[in-house]
Parts: sequence; structure tokens; C-alpha cells
Amino acid sequence: MKNKKKITLVGIIIALLPCTLLLSGCGKDEFLNNKKDNTSSVKKYQVALITKSTNSAFWKSVYSGANAASAEYNLNLIFEGPENEEDYETQNTMIDQAVSDGADAIVFSAVDYMANAEAINRAANKGVKIIVIDSDVNSSLVSCRIGTDNYEAGCTAGKAALECGSPVLHIGIVNFDKNSENGQTREKGFRDTVAKDERAEIVASINVLSSTEIAKEETMKMLAAHPEINIVVTFNEWTSLGVGYAIRELDMADTTTVVAFDSNVVSVGMLELGEVDALVVQNPYAMGYLGMESAYQLLNGFSLDSEEVNTSTMLVTRENMYNEECQRAIFAFDKEN
Amino acid sequence: MSGKDKKENGISWNISLSGIFTTLVTFIVLVTSIAVMLIFIRIYRRTMEENAVTGSEQTIVQVQNTLENYTNDMRSVMDIIQNNITEDGADRDEFIRGLVKVRSDVVAIMTYDERGNLTDCWSDGRETKEKWLKNLSYIELTKNGDKFNITKPHVESLFVDYYPWVVTLSQRLTDYDGKEIQVTMDIRFSNIANYVDDVGIGQHGYCYIIDNKGNIIYHPQQQLIYSGLKEENTGNLQEGTFVRSNVIYTVHTLENCNWRIVGVCYVDEMITAKVEKLGRLLLIILSLVLIASFAVGWIFSKLFSKPAKNLADAIGSFEGNAEHFHFKQVRGTSEINALSSSFGHMVIRIQRLMEKVREEEVILRKTELKALQAQINPHFLYNTLDAIAWLCEGGRNQDAEEMVNSLARLFRISISRGHELIPIKKEVQHAESYLKIEKFRYKNQFTYSIDVDEECLGYLCNKITLQPIIENAIYHGLNRMVDEGMIKIGIHQSGEDILFTVEDNGVGMTREQCSEILYRESGDRTGIGIKNVNDRIKIYFGSSFGLMITSELDKGTCVTIRMPKVREGEYSEK
Repeated sequence: MKNKKKITLVGIIIALLPCTLLLSGCGKDEFLNNKKDNTSSVKKYQVALITKSTNSAFWKSVYSGANAASAEYNLNLIFEGPENEEDYETQNTMIDQAVSDGADAIVFSAVDYMANAEAINRAANKGVKIIVIDSDVNSSLVSCRIGTDNYEAGCTAGKAALECGSPVLHIGIVNFDKNSENGQTREKGFRDTVAKDERAEIVASINVLSSTEIAKEETMKMLAAHPEINIVVTFNEWTSLGVGYAIRELDMADTTTVVAFDSNVVSVGMLELGEVDALVVQNPYAMGYLGMESAYQLLNGFSLDSEEVNTSTMLVTRENMYNEECQRAIFAFDKEN
Repeated sequence: MSGKDKKENGISWNISLSGIFTTLVTFIVLVTSIAVMLIFIRIYRRTMEENAVTGSEQTIVQVQNTLENYTNDMRSVMDIIQNNITEDGADRDEFIRGLVKVRSDVVAIMTYDERGNLTDCWSDGRETKEKWLKNLSYIELTKNGDKFNITKPHVESLFVDYYPWVVTLSQRLTDYDGKEIQVTMDIRFSNIANYVDDVGIGQHGYCYIIDNKGNIIYHPQQQLIYSGLKEENTGNLQEGTFVRSNVIYTVHTLENCNWRIVGVCYVDEMITAKVEKLGRLLLIILSLVLIASFAVGWIFSKLFSKPAKNLADAIGSFEGNAEHFHFKQVRGTSEINALSSSFGHMVIRIQRLMEKVREEEVILRKTELKALQAQINPHFLYNTLDAIAWLCEGGRNQDAEEMVNSLARLFRISISRGHELIPIKKEVQHAESYLKIEKFRYKNQFTYSIDVDEECLGYLCNKITLQPIIENAIYHGLNRMVDEGMIKIGIHQSGEDILFTVEDNGVGMTREQCSEILYRESGDRTGIGIKNVNDRIKIYFGSSFGLMITSELDKGTCVTIRMPKVREGEYSEK
């Protein structure tokens, strides 16, 4: 008789079980929400954004894009970069430091295509996901590459230079660090494009440190050595400013066509004044945002749409700079400034 | 839950009780909980959707109120400016400069003349460009159009190195000296932006501001849209709340200007995610129920089904081997215990009954056999007596005497005071007496020899063992022969046993005949049969003892009898 009672008891418990669970289900709104909050605070991935520098408008815009994505995808973002854009050693130290600090992914822009490879491989072998933005590094362990199609951007710059109406085009090239992959690719795109036009002749080509001061001096030296130059082309934000200042100082705004890269408030002012005639504007905000988005996708095991993403570029000239589209491309929307 | 048996007439399912129980419980719980869950999810979904719509509506109304306050505020600022500008006081500049300083969201206030030339510009210490490419803040207002206008966002293009995104408020008014002028005020978003950014509808919902042409005034993800990373559907939004491809849109137009507020929230996100969680909960419940019902099944099986099966198995094996069956009590529910103990009692009673029956049978057989032995074959007696009479008649008194002595010994030993087991010595005398009588009767048609191991004589054997075999050898083996017959009798030891052999050189038997003799009851004429001898030995000593016949046609027959060595007093008759 005892056993029989036991069975009945168990039967009753079984019958009540779903009912109690259902009842508890009615109050589950709070219950589930609490649970969700808890889990989200438990796992927060850490992503290091290591760039070539931290103080140019370009990298600030990359950071603000990355920041927007890290807020959206709930990632911890650490943003750092060396003082100047040639310092690959500091970058390597930063990579190692980020790995030992427990970064789950590194969004990286290489100063030096070769010299950064080892540190990146080291990090990747420890299981850190590597996403390259803007400037590539010589590593097969990179999960995803996001950036401007540099060759195409170079071609755009070339076409802008060929727009110049003068019968002979004496071109001077002011490029930055020779080891930086993106600068070289842009220059190649530019050279390939202008080579198709018989008016064009590249009379001088210099590589300068990526700094406004040095670029300005070197450009002035180049213009002094080759007074026939009527087109100057340059490939990043700092050298663009340097070339712009050189033109301003030499008062050559009307006689020289300058094709430059990237935008900040100063170079936009130069564009307006005619010291710079065309800006190839990249989309750094998108690079930062997409870099973080890819990091999130990789860390959560989603597959990426593509291992190589090209962000848009736009050619801005004095004529179109206040078009709606160009406004959007060259002036960052920041509610605080 | 258990296997199925196929039987000749159709298929029958052989399912255990606990299996049925488990399946039923699981099934019922499964069906009811799924049904309840589905109904619940349906109601929940509908409620959530209604909540989402009303929630969205409420939020957007709040935003609308706030923004109306904001734009009203801007208008009142505009009114103040208007009052001051038309007054042409000396402190006009002072006042407007102060206003720009105090209102951090006002970037610049400008006045234009009829032809659109900038006449005055006040800003918070910003340096205006010497020449500008394009003034994005100036918009030519139509004379008869709305006097108050708000532009879509643009970059402030008048200052050196300062390009904030602004919207421009423009108003036409009449100057102190009667000239038509236009006043514009560039406003940054910071206040609106901070407010709009914080508006959340549901988990991932948001709201944004557009003008009546669909241009985005402010969006929480403005830079994403400007960078081409995100697109927002701004065209063709009718007033009110509507659901379009799983997105709830709530659109309200501000009363005092051409701005519209669009609230976006995702039905799927709010509802489907929760329904998914419910589904997960359901799965957990179901698995719990499954585990529980298996546990119940297990308990049930342990308490009832398994003992029942054990009991059935026990009954089965009892059926197969009743004699040596040993019953172990089966434990289970009280019913099972009762069944088990009754079965135990029954087994013991049946085994006792069987034992009793067997004993009675043995006793009966022994009695029967004794009765048979006591019988004297009348034909044999008549024939012998005839022969003796014939000897007396012929005056062969010595032979007659010997015959009478032999006959007397034969009977004496046959009776043996009712003992079944007699010394082998006596049995040999019995056989010899019989052979003598028969030899006379058959007029010396055969000879015989008896070869006995002296050591065997002291052991016991069943009485009348050899005689029926000799009788068989004479009647069936030698009688039909033309040549002189020969019977050899041997008694020897074989390990722990004693072997009796009776050999003749008669006609022999086929294999079938041999086995027939061992199992056929003897007829009236032939006294105690060979079967009887065999049966008696087996009854007394067990089945490993008894007769064995080997025979070959026209060569002869050999009967071997195996018996254990038994001494006087060692075998107590039952």
C-alpha cells in the first residue's frame, strides 16, 4: 500500500510540474529581461584599434566610426597608435601589449607592410582575430581587410590631375613612407593613369616623412629644383597639408594644380582658397565602423560576407564641395562640435 | 516501449505496462503543454504587439511635445531678435552678441538685404572668411510664401576652419526704415540630438526627424547614414502608426513647423525574441516532463512490471522443470508480494505431491514385481514334472532325483523368503538348476559353462536375473538350431561394478529385436521377461545399471548385465 501511495504522489507532482512552470512563465517578462542583462554584462569582448597615429582627422574619424560600432555591438574598444606614422616598432609593442592585456581582436592599420607582419602573426597565433583597415600587412593570418581600393583611389587622383587644362603636365609626386603599402598602391594607380596621357610627364617624385612640416619643406625644395612643375600630387592627410602650406607660402595657388588625399578643416579651407584643387576623400568612419563590426562577427562565430571590403572614395573639387553628397563626405557629423 | 512479437495470425504488440504508462503520461503532458503554450504565445504575441504600438505612439507624442517646445523656443528667440533688429537701438549688436553667447546651440545670426547680400553676422567669436565659395545658410524666401522657414541640415560654410552641421531658421521682416530684410539663425543639433538619441522604443527602436520632403533633419545614426553604411526609408510615410514588413512606424508632424517625427521599432525583435525564449522554456518543460515520466516509468517498472515479469519467468521455469525448481520470493507492490508468496506455497505443495506420487509409484512397482516373481510359470512346472514322470517311468531314478532336487532348489531360491536381493552364489545355483532341468528337457541339445570370479560370490544381486535371459537364449536362440548349442555364463568384476554375461551361439537377433526384448512385456508363457529384469535393476540401483544386448544374426547373442557391488546390509530395502 505504501508503494502505491508513492506512485500517486509522483503522478501528482508530474501533473503539477508543467502548471507551475506555466505560472512562473507569466511573470517571466521581468525574469527573462534580468537574465538577458546578466548575460550581456558577463561576456564583453575586448577589441584593440591600433592605427598609424591618433591625432589626424582621418584617424579620429576612424575612431568615431569604431566607437559607434562598439556601442552598437557591445564591445570594449581600446584606441591607440604611435606618435608619428613611421613608428612601426611602437606599433609592434602595442600589438604585443594588446595581446597580453587580453584583447580578443585587433583592428589594425599597418605602418610597414613587412615590419609589422611578425607581430601580427604572433598575435594571430595566440587566437586573436586580426582585421586590417586602411593599410595592409604582409600576413596570411588576417581574417578580413577593410579599406579604400587604393589602386582605384590612385586612378581617381590621376584622372583629377588630367582634368587640368594646360597643354603640358609636369607632375611632381610627394608620397609618404615607402614601406607603407597603401601609399605605394595609390602612387601606382596614379602613375598608371597619367601614363596613358601623352601630355603628362612625371618630373619629380619624393618620399617624405608623414608630417606637415617636413612635407612642406621637401615640397618647397622639389618645386625649387623643378620650377616647371604645374601639378603636385600627394597621397595622405599630412603630406596634403604640407603641400598645401608650401603652395600657400610660394603663392602658387593659381599656377599649380594640387591633387591631395583626405580632408580636414584645414585642407577644406585650402580647397576653398584654391591652394588645393582636388581632394580624394576616403571614408574613414566606415572603415572604423566596419572594422569593429567584422570583429564582432568573427568573435561571435558569424561568417563574414567577404574577406575584403572596399569602402567608398569620392573626388571633391571646389565646384562640388558644397554639394550635399560632398558635404556628407568631407564634414563629419558630430553633434558636440 | 518494449519489442514486438510477430505471430502467425496477425501482429500483436507486446508492450510492457510501464511502457504504456510512460508513453501515455508523456503524450498527455506533451499535448497539453504544447497546446497551452501555443495559446499562451498567441495571446502574448497579440498583447505584445498592441503594447508595442501604444508604447511607440506614446513615446512619439512625448517627442513631439518636446520638439514643439523646442521649435517654439526658437521662434520666440526669433521674435526677440525681430524686436531688437527693428528697433535699431545702439545696443542691438550688444544684445544679439549676448544672445549668441548664451545660447550655445546658436552658431550664428545673420541678416540679409533684399538681394540676398549678407549685411550683418553675429557669432560666438568665430572669424568669417574673407570670401566664401557658397553661403549655405541663405535661402531665398518666396515673398508670398511662409514667413518662417527651417532648412534641412547643411554645413556652416562662412567661418574659417569651422564647419559644424546646422539647420537654418529664416524669417522675413521689415527693417526700422521699412526695408524688407531677412534674418537667419543657424542652429546646431546638440540639444535635439541629445534628446532624440535617448529616445528608445522597445529594445532597439529609435526615432528620427525628417522634414516634409523626406530629408533627414536628425537621426541618431546620422554619421552612419552619411557614410553610406546605413539607409533609412524616409519616403512615403503617412501620418499615424502602421506596420510595414515587421517594423512599426509611428509618424507625427509637428504643429508649428514642417518637421515630422518618425518612430521605428521592430515587431520581430520585441516579440519574436520573447516568443523564442518562450519556446526555449517550453523545450525545458518538455524535457523535464520527459525525464519525470521516464522516472515514473522506472519506478513503476521497479515496483510492478519487473516483479510481475520475474514472477512470470519463475512460473515458466517451474513449468519446465518442476522437480528441481527452487523459488525465490519476488519483491514488489503488495499485490505482487501476495501473488509471490501464494505461488511459493503452491510450488512447495506441488513438489511434495510429486514426490509422494513418485514414491507411491515405486512401491507399487516393487509390489508388482514381487508378485510376479512369486508366480511359478505353470507350463514350465508341468513340463518339468512330465519329464520327471517320464524318467521315473524309464527307471532312471538317479536322473529323476537330480531333476527333483534341481526343481526344489529353483523354487527355494526363487522365493528366498521374499528378499529381492540374494547373494550371487545363490543366483548362480539358481541358474545352474534351471540349466540342468532344461538340459534334460531338451535332451542335451546344448552344453553350458559357468565361469564365476570367486570374489564376486559374496556380493548381492537381484534374484532371478540370469534365469529369464537363459530362458530367452534357449527358446529363441538355441531351440531353432540344428547344431549343438552352447551357453556361456560369466560373472566378473569391473571396477566398482559386477558384470554378468550370458552368451549363446544361437540364431541371433536383429537390432530391432534386441531393443524390442528390452521394452516388451513378457507374455504368459515366458515367466518373468527380460524387460522385467532390466526394470528391476534400474529401480533398485539407478538408470546407469541394467542390461545391454549385442547380437549378430547366425552368430549368437551376448547379454551383459551391469550391477554395483553390494554387500549384505549395505542396501536396505525400501
